[in-house]
Amino acid sequence: MNTNYLPSDFLPIIVQFVLAAAFIVVTMIVTHRIGPSRKSKAKDDPFECGIEVVGNARTPISVKYFLVAILFVLFDVEVIFMYPWAVNFKKLGMLGFIEMVLFMALLLAGFYYILRKGVLKWEE
Amino acid sequence: MYPIVLLSVLGIVVLYLGFLKSKSILLPATLLFLVVAMIGNFFEWNDGELLYFKGMFAVNKLTLTFNAIVLFSAFMIVAMTQGFQDNEEAQPAEYFALMLFSLVGAFMMIGFENLIMLFLGVEILSVAMYVLTGSDKRNLRSNEAALKYFLMGAFATGIMLFGIALLYGASGSFSLNGIESFVTLNQRSPSYLLYAGLLLVLIGMLFKVSAAPFHFWTPDVYDGAPSIFTAFMATIVKTAGFAALFRLLSHSFSGIYDFWWPTLSILTVLTLLVGNIIAVYQDSFKRMLAYSSISHAGYLLIALTSMTKQTENAILFYSMAYSFATICAFGVLIPVAREKSLEGRPNESYEAFNGLAKNNPLLAFVLTVSMLSLAGIPLTAGFWGKFFVFSSAVERELVWMIIVAVLMSAVGIYYYFRVIMAAYMKEGDTATIRIAPFYKIVLIAATLLTILFGLAPGLFEAAM
Repeated sequence: MNTNYLPSDFLPIIVQFVLAAAFIVVTMIVTHRIGPSRKSKAKDDPFECGIEVVGNARTPISVKYFLVAILFVLFDVEVIFMYPWAVNFKKLGMLGFIEMVLFMALLLAGFYYILRKGVLKWEE
Repeated sequence: MYPIVLLSVLGIVVLYLGFLKSKSILLPATLLFLVVAMIGNFFEWNDGELLYFKGMFAVNKLTLTFNAIVLFSAFMIVAMTQGFQDNEEAQPAEYFALMLFSLVGAFMMIGFENLIMLFLGVEILSVAMYVLTGSDKRNLRSNEAALKYFLMGAFATGIMLFGIALLYGASGSFSLNGIESFVTLNQRSPSYLLYAGLLLVLIGMLFKVSAAPFHFWTPDVYDGAPSIFTAFMATIVKTAGFAALFRLLSHSFSGIYDFWWPTLSILTVLTLLVGNIIAVYQDSFKRMLAYSSISHAGYLLIALTSMTKQTENAILFYSMAYSFATICAFGVLIPVAREKSLEGRPNESYEAFNGLAKNNPLLAFVLTVSMLSLAGIPLTAGFWGKFFVFSSAVERELVWMIIVAVLMSAVGIYYYFRVIMAAYMKEGDTATIRIAPFYKIVLIAATLLTILFGLAPGLFEAAM
């Protein structure tokens, strides 16, 4: 690995940062300048698909939603590991296959645990 | 290697055993699994130096001995839980499984050969501890402790990860050998990236072992967590943390000792001062134990700072002596605090121990021995632990540090003896506390080991 980078080698990164920041600043200024701006009560209301606004958003939400959300993220992210494995399937060979089976087995063990714990039973 | 695989699988088995109607099988099953892991640990005893996972994980006599200390401490702590039968809200299967999983993290920290492995181990150990800290769901203090521990722990892990990234940036390698060869090659021309990386990794690890000035979470977390898990935290997390620190500093960074020893020595002195002096002002025995654990991190840091040939042995012996004494202290605290409970909460103040010796001579004796060992009085293991630590510092001629440490041990005697005085001298009416026979055996065994290693510290080296 080449570890002897000069500061000038990082110039493209700085250019990209500057461009990204400049794009935001420019678009914000331009849209505020050229667009017409009218203010009224109806315009300042939060828009909820045409339905009238109901109550506060900060109401208690059942813990079940969070559990399901966390489990979704968990299993969703774990499945991502399948992609690199699929791409390198032939290269990784039998050992890779066994490792993946082991991984899936552990994942399914967790899934079975969740089912037995009744996390996905919505009515209870 | 075997204990990692065994405990990962057996932890899942414990989770599944929790589905059975009867919860009474969980405790014997977990204890059996720990024994199995202990036997698996010694399978590789005569194999010399082994490498696993493409050189990311090492096994040798030192790591196996650390593993054995951790496993033995875990065995005693699990035995003391008595299966959480007195608590209806408890989830014993999950608690035991988390304890086994966290041991896997501890083993990875003890034997890492690659910084990724260290990070993984720290995370496995910490995440399990965050959950166990907050396991007393109805107790606000426990919730507070879990949240504090989680937030501060997450920050510390982030800092450590940043440090690992910088180390990789400097040396182009995650492995300890790669970093070591980079350090030896570039001894003349210092790489500031490497220095910054090392400091950040040290901050992350020192947070985990609660060294000052990264100790602020310790009293609240140790105090808020259920006592049994505090004992787990105080012994196993600390032992594994110091094993990891020792591995990191002795292996990769011994070439730049001149760079890191001044930093570490200042932190050592600070830890000793903070831990011992604040412990004097505590009214709660449990909180005092939290500060005492900070101060013991300071003594262990002395051995790390001096980094001589004796350091390895000193850290091993000290963490073992400290673990046994701490387990004894919590083992006495739990039944006493429950007996004297105030408004449904265990009473963990010094007053709870008043007059303990009258009707509970065994508990008072166990408490006395453990306090003497923590204070470092001769004829206990704690004395030899301090002796080895100080002698490694003498070899490095760090006399000023020993002077501070000895002064602070003298301060330590004050607050350790306070509870002994309460148990023997003060008036109080504690009825005879009923203790389960198995619990009693654990307490007696830990006490006898403390005295045995205090009388014959050579036994430990002979066993290695």
